[in-house]
Amino acid sequence: MRPFELTVPATVDEAVAGGHTFLAGGTTLVDLMKLDVVAPQRVADITALPFHGISTEDGLRIGALERMSDVAAHPGVPAAVTRALLLSASQQLRNMATIGGNLMQRTRCGYFRDITMPCNKRRPGSGCAALEGNNRMHAVLGTSRHCVATHASDLAVALVALDAELRITGPDGGRTVPLTDFYRTPGERPDIENDLGSGDLVTEIVIPYPELAANSTYVKIRDRQSYEFALCSVAAALDVRDGVVAEARIAAGGVGTIPWRLPGVEAALRGEPATEAAFTAAAEIATHGTTPLAHNGFKVPLLKRTLVRALLELTGGDER
Amino acid sequence: MDIALQINGTTEHLDVSPGVTLLDALRERLGITGPKKGCDRGQCGACTVHIGGRTALSCLTLAATVRQPITTVEGLSTHDQLHPVQRAFADQDALQCGFCTPGQIMSAVAATAQGIDDPDEVREFMSGNLCRCSAYPNIVAAVRSAGSEERRTDATV
Amino acid sequence: MTARPDAPLKVTGSATYALDNLVDRAAHGFLLLSTVAHGEVASMDVDAVRSAPGVLGVYTPFEPLALHPVTSPLLGPMWLPLQDTNVTHHGQPIGFVVAETFEQARDAAGLAAVTYEERQAATSFADGLASAVDAQPAASEAPPSLSVLADGVASIEDALDASDVTIDATYETAPQNHAAMEPHSAVAVWADGELTVYTGNQASHLVAADLAGALGLPADAVQVRNPVVGGAFGGKATSMPAVLAAAAARELGRPVKAALTREQVFTATANRPATVQRIALGARRDGTLAAVRHDSWSSATPDLGFIEPTSHGTSREWYRTENLAISQKAVPLNIPPATFMRAPGEGPGSFALESAIDELAVALAMDPIALRTRNNSTAPPGEDLQWSSKHLDECFEVGAARFGWERRSPDGRVEGDWLVGMGTATAMFPGLRFPATVGVTLHADDTATVAASGADPGTGLLGVLGIVGAESLDLDRDRITPLLGDSRLPPGGLSGGSTATASAGSATMVAAGTVIEQLLALATAPDGPFHGREVGYADGSVHALDDTDRAPMTFGEVLRSTGRDSLGATGTTAPGEEMAKHSFGSWGAQFCEVRVHRLTREIRVSRLLGVFDAGRIINPQAARSQLMGGMIWGVSAALHEGIEFGADGRVTNRDLADYLLPVNADIPDVDVRFVEHPDTLLSDLGARGLGEIGLVGMAAAVANAVHNATGVRVRRIPIRLEDLLED
Repeated sequence: MRPFELTVPATVDEAVAGGHTFLAGGTTLVDLMKLDVVAPQRVADITALPFHGISTEDGLRIGALERMSDVAAHPGVPAAVTRALLLSASQQLRNMATIGGNLMQRTRCGYFRDITMPCNKRRPGSGCAALEGNNRMHAVLGTSRHCVATHASDLAVALVALDAELRITGPDGGRTVPLTDFYRTPGERPDIENDLGSGDLVTEIVIPYPELAANSTYVKIRDRQSYEFALCSVAAALDVRDGVVAEARIAAGGVGTIPWRLPGVEAALRGEPATEAAFTAAAEIATHGTTPLAHNGFKVPLLKRTLVRALLELTGGDER
Repeated sequence: MDIALQINGTTEHLDVSPGVTLLDALRERLGITGPKKGCDRGQCGACTVHIGGRTALSCLTLAATVRQPITTVEGLSTHDQLHPVQRAFADQDALQCGFCTPGQIMSAVAATAQGIDDPDEVREFMSGNLCRCSAYPNIVAAVRSAGSEERRTDATV
Repeated sequence: MTARPDAPLKVTGSATYALDNLVDRAAHGFLLLSTVAHGEVASMDVDAVRSAPGVLGVYTPFEPLALHPVTSPLLGPMWLPLQDTNVTHHGQPIGFVVAETFEQARDAAGLAAVTYEERQAATSFADGLASAVDAQPAASEAPPSLSVLADGVASIEDALDASDVTIDATYETAPQNHAAMEPHSAVAVWADGELTVYTGNQASHLVAADLAGALGLPADAVQVRNPVVGGAFGGKATSMPAVLAAAAARELGRPVKAALTREQVFTATANRPATVQRIALGARRDGTLAAVRHDSWSSATPDLGFIEPTSHGTSREWYRTENLAISQKAVPLNIPPATFMRAPGEGPGSFALESAIDELAVALAMDPIALRTRNNSTAPPGEDLQWSSKHLDECFEVGAARFGWERRSPDGRVEGDWLVGMGTATAMFPGLRFPATVGVTLHADDTATVAASGADPGTGLLGVLGIVGAESLDLDRDRITPLLGDSRLPPGGLSGGSTATASAGSATMVAAGTVIEQLLALATAPDGPFHGREVGYADGSVHALDDTDRAPMTFGEVLRSTGRDSLGATGTTAPGEEMAKHSFGSWGAQFCEVRVHRLTREIRVSRLLGVFDAGRIINPQAARSQLMGGMIWGVSAALHEGIEFGADGRVTNRDLADYLLPVNADIPDVDVRFVEHPDTLLSDLGARGLGEIGLVGMAAAVANAVHNATGVRVRRIPIRLEDLLED
């Protein structure tokens, strides 16, 4: 860890003005600072800022500083979000981490986390050790020859599926960004991960479609039963009328460099019967454009199967 | 920087650099060595303490950011009386080498406080605390027996 | 009373593990590791390190800590850090930075600039198999290759060719790390030329001897303390951090703490090797084994320092067969050192052998238990020495009934979206003893201590000493204080080889017998209270056998009446002539039920049962915990853990998020049963070891259950869900 200055800004203006790195729950930032992966000079503890509260008026609105465990316990939160939260990390970490911080968490790529290794995300231009390294956990969607790191958040997958928006404040004032536009695939610049500029702060998460979200779920597949990042996950919301899919929202995690919305699958499902055969046919579309590496080719079939499993769960066809 | 921490009912003043974790402040500055450093990365749970009555990993918490009261395993037993969860861990043999035990117990106290009793829910709740000796089934038994004892006590009070 | 005398300390956070020893003015040391797998450290620029805040000392191969070569009686020559510029693996210690605080030492170490002259590194086990060399398997006196052939059989190939049914398959097991929850660490304190070191280890007297040798001190100038140890499993037979801390503390004139980070544990200590094993089995149509061939390859360091003895640890002894051939080869690589890890040989060896037996059962269309029972042995193949006490059939019988084995179908069953399968395997671990000395002391307050240097890293030895001590002294357990973990105590109770109970337990019996004799001698001495009487000892008291009206005196009263505070004796036991009369081993039957999701194919263990024949069980609750822990280790080997290396020789999963150990949610209730037949041919105590056998066979039981559930035979562990995905 490199020396840094820790401040506790009393106002939002103070926080966004100072060129700070923001510290909330600390579960990502403190970890990466100890590894020297990030070395901010000025850290602002923002937990005293007023981005709290969960409201169900005018869509579901969640203050960015709400803890994961509190959000998961709120009755107004859709099942996909609750399950994504409860399947994340451990109860201790969920008590610490905020949902704003959760959306900002960094990849778990082991090469990113080791400063002795090349990594374009950490040190632009140094190369990507994962391309030819051990890449079982890495992405098959949204990759580039500069970065194949998987986005780590479960919550973000559920929120991307549910068309959530972020309220952002910064030195130039406030704005609203759909989460589907927030994250950036690595392309040539894996170090730029999202839409935030210097001093920008996520203040609130808004889920505008609670009706569709009412029939939603999150399925997470991993090597152990708990306390592990996803090999593959699927967040899905489904509106089925008379046995036919009227509307669908689907996103996948553990497979993409960003939370991966699957509009093609959604379109393919619309108007189809809610059967395993139709789900399996639509899931095939999820694999279009996948770019497997040496050790993660299994994620392609696993994505299809996880998708079918999530959809069956929403239509009562899956026994957990 | 000068900070004040409320730990197990006592206020401690200390001077730490901002990068010092709560775990290292407890262990190296305050001599409170119940919380253990098993990984220092938030991956094992041996450093679990309560902050403001909720479980937290002291290895990923900067000491200078803590504003709520802290309870460590040392703060559970009073007047030489073991906490029911501590007694249950000993009775059920829910430990072997014991290194993860302080963290396990802090999570278990939270589990019983929340009334978690279903075996699968206990297993999930306790999954943030690794035990390489693999006392897991006995840990589940300890949490459930302490929880039922606490509920019995509550009912009689 | 709880199963563990130290449980009250452990549940209150007051048990003092190495780094919990708070020492005034202790400085903090942090290791610096190599970032290449093979070569020389060409230069180390440590100016920035030295001038960083709080730094007290910087030690490198160019400015080393003075150490003397030392050879461990158990493990041979000990590798000492920083003594030369050679780098033999990625993550090897090459520097040690000591500063006022932990943070200062860690952050300063990050400022070192190191250059290397790299050499070509051999890092791929698979690539090295073709050029593997014959190697001596660890803990074995047998040659690398040996065969037992029936009269008239020319070769194992002939025996296989002549068999009605054969299987021939190759199995792979991953390298593993002990991953004790307490990373390797030490606190070293010098006072008046004498050294005290607090460090978790498996035998404090042996680590004290290592330290005395490395530091050039007389043996009695070093004291090693480890009253509690945060897990060991074979990984703490030596303590490299203790060497660094002690040497730096001597240089700096103040106490030094040294602790490995979790990441450093994976490369700066030693691991279980990777193995490849090819097994061919030949059987008659009725299932009688006619030929067993088991060829093993182990990954190794270039000096072939430790070879995982998979064939020698299993096929050499387990089944009756007229024809047997085993071999051991090694692939020298630039990887971290290898050492004993819980059930060395038996663990990975049993995955291969017990998977192969299951494959043979499938080929014969025979029940896997019936096949094992048919080939039960009364002695190792080709040897005359019969098993002293073997009840494996009873283990299977009891286990099959408890587990509901009769409900198993050869094709598993389906429950909703889950494919469910059952698997079984044999477990075996040799019944061994090591030389051990234990001290028993009677005190004037009518309490007694039972003491040995060794260690209880969670195994339960402390409780065993208390129980055997109480039994031998005919006292209540609450009057016995067992002591372990101080090199100045009598040299016994080493934690290793599943020997501690049989070794230290029987030594306790000898010591107690001796101290009782001495007590009776004291009581009947001319100035003693029972002078001139025939006396006996019972219930903690001396009785006059020839005068029943005479009130007995407790041993405390006898001591007080003779003006003594205490009376102590030691007892020593060692393997003896029994080894020439019998073969010894603990046995068990493992059962596992798994559930595999029909779509996403993740594997969940839903039931576990182990039935064990381990002689007399001294402390049933702690014994059950030990076996349960071992069984879960088997599940972990089957489904979770495995070190992964990059082509550069770097461990790519060296933390506890990436090196997977099971979490609580992965583990169902575990049923552990004993068939208890005291083995008094091994020792008077009747107990055999059970610290390791719990994991033996379990990985195969899991894999066999996966096969039963899915029809897919996975011959490599850990099994991943992708092994079961078809498209």
